[in-house]
Amino acid sequence: MLSDYRALPGAFDELLGATDKLRATVEAMLAGGSAEDFARTQALAEAALLNQGVTFSVYSDSRGVEKIFPVCLLPRVISAHEWARLERGLQQRVLALEAFVEDVYAEQRILAAGAVPPEVVLGSAQYLPALRGLRPPAGVRIHISGIDLIRDGGGVFRVLEDNLRTPSGVSYVLENRLLSKRLLARAFEAARVRPVNQYPARLAGALRSVSPVAPEETTIVVLTPGPYNSAFFEHSFLARQMGVELVEAADLFVDDDRLFLHTIRGPKRVHVVYRRTDDAFLDPEVFRPDSLLGVRGVMRAWAKGNVALANAPGNGVADDKGVYPFVPEMIRFYLGEEPLLEQVPTYQCARPEDRTYVLEHLAELVVKVVDEAGGYGMLMGPTSTAEEREEFRRRILADPRRYIAQPRIELSTCPTWVSQGRCVAPRRVDFRPYVLNSAAGPWVLPGGLTRVALREGSYVVNSSQGGGSKDTWVLKGDG
Amino acid sequence: MISRVADHCFWMGRYLERAESTSRVLRVTSSLVLDAILPPAQVWTSALAVCGEDEPFLALHGSAATADGLRVTEFLTWDTTVPSSLVNSVYAARENARSIREVVSLEAWEAINELHLWLSDGGGRREWEARPDAFYRQVRTGTQLILGAVEHTMLHDNAFDFIVLGVLLERVGQTARILDVHHHALMQLPPDLVREETLWLSLLRACAGFEPFMKRKAGRVSPGEVATFLMLEPRFPRSLVFCLREADQRLASIRTPGDQSFPPLRCQARLAALERFLASRKVEDEDLHALLTHVVEETAAICGELHQELFEAPQRARPAPAERPWAEA
Repeated sequence: MLSDYRALPGAFDELLGATDKLRATVEAMLAGGSAEDFARTQALAEAALLNQGVTFSVYSDSRGVEKIFPVCLLPRVISAHEWARLERGLQQRVLALEAFVEDVYAEQRILAAGAVPPEVVLGSAQYLPALRGLRPPAGVRIHISGIDLIRDGGGVFRVLEDNLRTPSGVSYVLENRLLSKRLLARAFEAARVRPVNQYPARLAGALRSVSPVAPEETTIVVLTPGPYNSAFFEHSFLARQMGVELVEAADLFVDDDRLFLHTIRGPKRVHVVYRRTDDAFLDPEVFRPDSLLGVRGVMRAWAKGNVALANAPGNGVADDKGVYPFVPEMIRFYLGEEPLLEQVPTYQCARPEDRTYVLEHLAELVVKVVDEAGGYGMLMGPTSTAEEREEFRRRILADPRRYIAQPRIELSTCPTWVSQGRCVAPRRVDFRPYVLNSAAGPWVLPGGLTRVALREGSYVVNSSQGGGSKDTWVLKGDG
Repeated sequence: MISRVADHCFWMGRYLERAESTSRVLRVTSSLVLDAILPPAQVWTSALAVCGEDEPFLALHGSAATADGLRVTEFLTWDTTVPSSLVNSVYAARENARSIREVVSLEAWEAINELHLWLSDGGGRREWEARPDAFYRQVRTGTQLILGAVEHTMLHDNAFDFIVLGVLLERVGQTARILDVHHHALMQLPPDLVREETLWLSLLRACAGFEPFMKRKAGRVSPGEVATFLMLEPRFPRSLVFCLREADQRLASIRTPGDQSFPPLRCQARLAALERFLASRKVEDEDLHALLTHVVEETAAICGELHQELFEAPQRARPAPAERPWAEA
């Protein structure tokens, strides 16, 4: 299937760019099967996902449509050596980000030292002054993070953005792995891949480690916005995998600054909440007095140390795209180390000289809104129309703090099954590894979500916009 | 167990049973029409009445359409604006299950999801158009598979109790309505032995009771015997008394009598009273319609109490230990 496979000009290819040894492993693994065989296996995978309801929801009518997140069974392979470097870099980054959030809601040493401009932090819509002086149980705030990485034309991994609030996608990592093992058993065995199925137990352990009471007395819940949320499958999946209750805000109430669950037998105390709701819908007392959503008083319970919230409220200040350019400074300031992971050069429209440059080069840059996610609110300069660029020029001038711009980084490609052409072709990918932080320090899941832009020529990997996923095989040895 | 989760379990059970009952009624009715002993309009009106959809159908399609079996079955099977249509019941059962995927076993979930997908992806529709009988049979076996997976792969904890409770209380209403509607239809006609026998046998089939009835009664079919069987037979799993007794058992497993951590349930007392009342009746002495109406209304009231006491999650303050134990009602 790979005999005609050619890389895209300018892009690093995950297979062709790999070491000879790794490449030989992957090629041997995929050799032998015909395209027909593979098409059948691929169809089986899709049917399994649909029947099991491994879906995300798109609400275009009253009933909503559930779609599977398309999966390409051809894996993305990362060697043990490459992984070791990534793992260290991710741990370093999360430790620095933890220290930053802690500092920002306490003494603000980094602002006083001038390593990060105060206006960038204090002017962020994600900075919540009300939380200043509060320290969460066990001092952990970024319990679960998803750090988005891309690989540039030279094969260098670069952090594209940090997700420190409610990063999603880990359920697909685990479900994709089940498919790999079921449908590509021989290749999987030959490759010697590190397992990912310990994630739910690790997550439960990390959550238990920050409980205000003894681990064996701890009640953990997963808080979901409800079945109409697009990521509901994942919320349900994680609750199931950890063996804890999945709850909605209306199931919870606060009494005497303690959090309780409504059960058929009356109130039951809750100690740790893995919440998959935004800060804004956490507690109407604090965030949105007009809202009926959320749990009234939960922030009081949190402030008193009676309940742990994962992730902690207020983390958004550290994954704000306007703060992102300063993460290398945070690493130097808090850890006294040089960053192990590269970033993407970023222009901040709040700075006059950057703004001038951005406005003059809109056609070459990717412009992002600092507080949007999911690929929305972006201008892809190289493929944009003159009107779109004019629109962004107006918006940037009206509120420069909300915009940053980056050169378009060429994404690496991976051999990907093209169902229409029944062939394998290069498609662009990104990568989201997951890091759990607990009282014991950060732990990186050996694997992660590889998202792939299934459309030919596309750079957009988001599930809502034609993206799919791949299993990511982190090898035990170097091939 | 979380009150909201209990609520979803209960309704998942009710909608599954409703789908199964509707598929059985439509299959039996389609077959009864072929016997041509009654005008089709009368037969289909009965089917609409059993589903509680006779008035909406008349309002929408007019009385002439009740003679058109295709119109009626389309309406009761596929119309998404009809609350108890088959496709809506399965959709609602599946939405309830999806909301509590963490308590439903994987095998039960897959079974329910596959039935829903078959009904919504065109496969079910094609089968319905080509082979309606096979279609209704497949919906029935689909729901049976789901409940079988629920019983044999789920923890038998309170979530299970609530699903089964939903099935049983829905079934009480279904059996009572099917019996009432048929009884009413027969009373409108001059006596005719052959016709009556055909109708009573068809009624038994609509409740999956044909063979069990024959076993108990050795082939002696009379209106009183059939009504007695469907209402009072303690060993037939779709009889009113059987369902009420089992529902009582489920409630006793949710709150065992004397449980100190939990106030007694009004719905449980009311359910037990209905069961005792019904078991003491002699069908031949009763106004059947009045009795069945009482059963349907009382069952609805029990479901209302259940909802208030267990699902609505009032912030029940836990009383001080001195105020316990609960006085048993």
